[in-house]
Parts: sequence; structure tokens; C-alpha cells
Amino acid sequence: MIKTFTLAGLLLCCFYSRGQYPGYALLNHRESFNKSFTKAAADVESIQSAFSQEKYLTMLSEKIKSTGKFYYRQKDKLRMEYIQPYPYLLILNAGKIYIKDGQKENKLSASSNKIFQQVNRILLDCVGGKMLENPEFQSRIFESTGTFLVEFKPLTKNLSALYKNINIVIDKKDFTATAIEMFELSGDKTIIRFQNKELNAQIPDSVFNIP
Amino acid sequence: MRKYLIRFLISLSVACLIFSCNQYSHMRKIQSDESCVQKFKPDLNHVVYQTSVDVIGNHISGLLLIKYMPDSSTRIVFSNQMGVSFFDFGFLQNNRFKVYQIIPQMNKKALIKTLRKDFELVMFRNMDNRSCYALLDSNLIYHAYPQSKGINYYITDTPCRQLIKMQRASNKKPVMEAYLANDSINNTPDSISIRHLNFNFMISLKKIRPLAAE
Repeated sequence: MIKTFTLAGLLLCCFYSRGQYPGYALLNHRESFNKSFTKAAADVESIQSAFSQEKYLTMLSEKIKSTGKFYYRQKDKLRMEYIQPYPYLLILNAGKIYIKDGQKENKLSASSNKIFQQVNRILLDCVGGKMLENPEFQSRIFESTGTFLVEFKPLTKNLSALYKNINIVIDKKDFTATAIEMFELSGDKTIIRFQNKELNAQIPDSVFNIP
Repeated sequence: MRKYLIRFLISLSVACLIFSCNQYSHMRKIQSDESCVQKFKPDLNHVVYQTSVDVIGNHISGLLLIKYMPDSSTRIVFSNQMGVSFFDFGFLQNNRFKVYQIIPQMNKKALIKTLRKDFELVMFRNMDNRSCYALLDSNLIYHAYPQSKGINYYITDTPCRQLIKMQRASNKKPVMEAYLANDSINNTPDSISIRHLNFNFMISLKKIRPLAAE
């Protein structure tokens, strides 16, 4: 009797996890993934790529598209340069945040705005392969033929008020993020996709300089 | 005698203060023309604005989407460039209002009320023609629409060719001013600016492009 229930439970879990992310199956043994992921993340010194971002407003049946250039360098340097729909620059460098929004420039220390700091840390951790170590999330790993999908559910009150979960889609070939999907409680979601990735390219310091 | 003189002077100052504080008292009430204001009503459907909000030394920016819904409500969603939604407001029928979502940092009753009233003025909502009246101030007409608290003014030139500005006011003086800069082709404003007069709070919206439906 117990065996039947256990089997039924396992099947239900299996169907649930398959249904949640079509084409993906829950990875029950994550040790080998963790090992490969951590090693690959350590080997990636820098990433530069183009990105496209889509924010889906579910209730409004609308999406807002943005595109730009993305730069990352171990361990805490990131530059997101939005080109469309209008120029917007975000640089994270050693805990400092610089924003250029049109003519307006803003410099923040990471501690001055907790939510902003957390959102930026997520981005940095997603790309830098540190997200699995982030204690503010619990994770599940799913696998498809070409990619892994790591689902992160926020554990802290602040982040739970913003996100239902954040998923990173990881390329099996090089274990780098190909997409970051951020799901809000309202059902809205934002997907950032990275294209034409170039790993370990020489990115000059000036790219991350905060003026 | 001196005591009476002081009393008289104090009364006079108070009277002067009251009189001078009321910035609308010198205006002459005239026949209101309801159709005048309505022709300036902006078409804000399916528009995305590059938006910045400056409030008491804090600056936030992002994209603000306005959409008219099939149920006659209007939704306003403001999110930052990286997709985090700051707020999602619904302006419903019969002057009702709904907060669909707001981040905890902005979830303050006074702030929500202020944003609601500001957007209501700019969207030409709560305009009850039965209670409206007009005031003439030299070459400007103040079209007044009383609200549950305070008055919304739409200020035009006397021939009603141009909407000069909009004001939210107490009974005596303006508390907020808003300006629309319309494009020449349609009635969708290229930019909207909202400036509070009693504290440091400014909202600037700049049109990015009309949105196509999904």
C-alpha cells in the first residue's frame, strides 16, 4: 500500500515537473551538475554579448522589448548598455552602482538601496554562476536535451514580494546562461536572452569604469 | 489705545494673509463651456513613456505603459528598465481605483493617493459637468472641476484654442501643476510633466512609441 502511494507520488511529481517546464525533467541528482557548473563558472573570466529583453504584461497582453550590449568580468563587474527603446546604462563595479539615464547620472553604493542591490546581485550571480550559493533562494534543476533550467525561489521577504521565481537557462555546452527569466507574483515576466556570446574576451577596464 | 492698535494690526495682517493666500479669489466667475476642456483630452492608449520620478532626493526611472482595457478601465504600469514592476494601477469605471500591484517600498497610502490624483488630473477623469464652473483671470480661463477634496483646474486661453496647464488645488491655492506637450498629428502627448508645489516631487514622461497589440 505504502509502495503504491510512493510510486503514485513520484509519478505525480514527475508529471508536475514535466508539465511546469515543457521539455524539461527534474534532475534528482544535482551533484554532478553542481560540480560541472562551478568548474565552468570558474573558467569563465569574462562574457560579452548582445541581449534582448522582453517584459510580458500578462493581464494587459502586452510586451515591452529592449535590446542592448552586455559585459561581465569576474567577479563583480557588469555593464548593461540598453540601446533600445532608449539609451540607459547600468554599471556594477565592486559594490558600486552607476546609472546613466538620458542626461541624468546616478551613483549609488550597493548598500544604499537594498532592493536595487538584491536585483543586481541576482543578475551578477546568474551570469557568474554563483546563484546556487545564494542563501536567499532555494533551487531546483531541470534538464532538457540541450539546456539546464535552474529554478530559484526566493526565501527572503523582500525578494518574495518581487519575484515568484527566477529561472536561468544554461547551455549544456559551456554551462553559461543563455537566458534569465524573472517571474513576478502578478504573472508578469521578464526574459533576458543573451546572443552572440563571447567568452573570455579581453574587455578593457574602461568598460566598467564608474566616472 | 496701543492695545487696540496692535489688535487692529494683527486682524488686518490675518485678513491680508487670508486674502492674499487665496490665489483664485480675484478671478471672476463666468459661464462654463464644458466642451472646451474635453477637446484637449489626451489619447493615452497603448503608449509607453520613458519616465523619471524625483521625490525628496530620490530618483527612479523606467518605462510607464498606459493601456485602455476592454472593460473601460485604464491600466498604468510602471517598471524599471530591468523589468521589475514598481506599480500597476487600474482606474476603473465610476471613479473607482485599484492597486493591482506595488512594491513594498512604494506601498504608502499617501504616495498612492497622490499618484492616483495626479494621474486622474492628467487623464481628465472625475470631470462631473454638473458641478463644474469657470473662472476668468485676464486672458486665461480656469475650468474648475470640484473633487471630493480640492479642485482640478484645466487652464485654457480665452478663445479655448490651447490648454495652457492643469492644476490640482486646495480651495485657495494650487498644490500641483501638470503640462502636456501634444504632438502635431494626434492627441497623444509627446511629454507630460507633473510638478508638486508644496514638496519636492516631480514626474516626467517622454513618449517612446505607440505600442502594437500582441
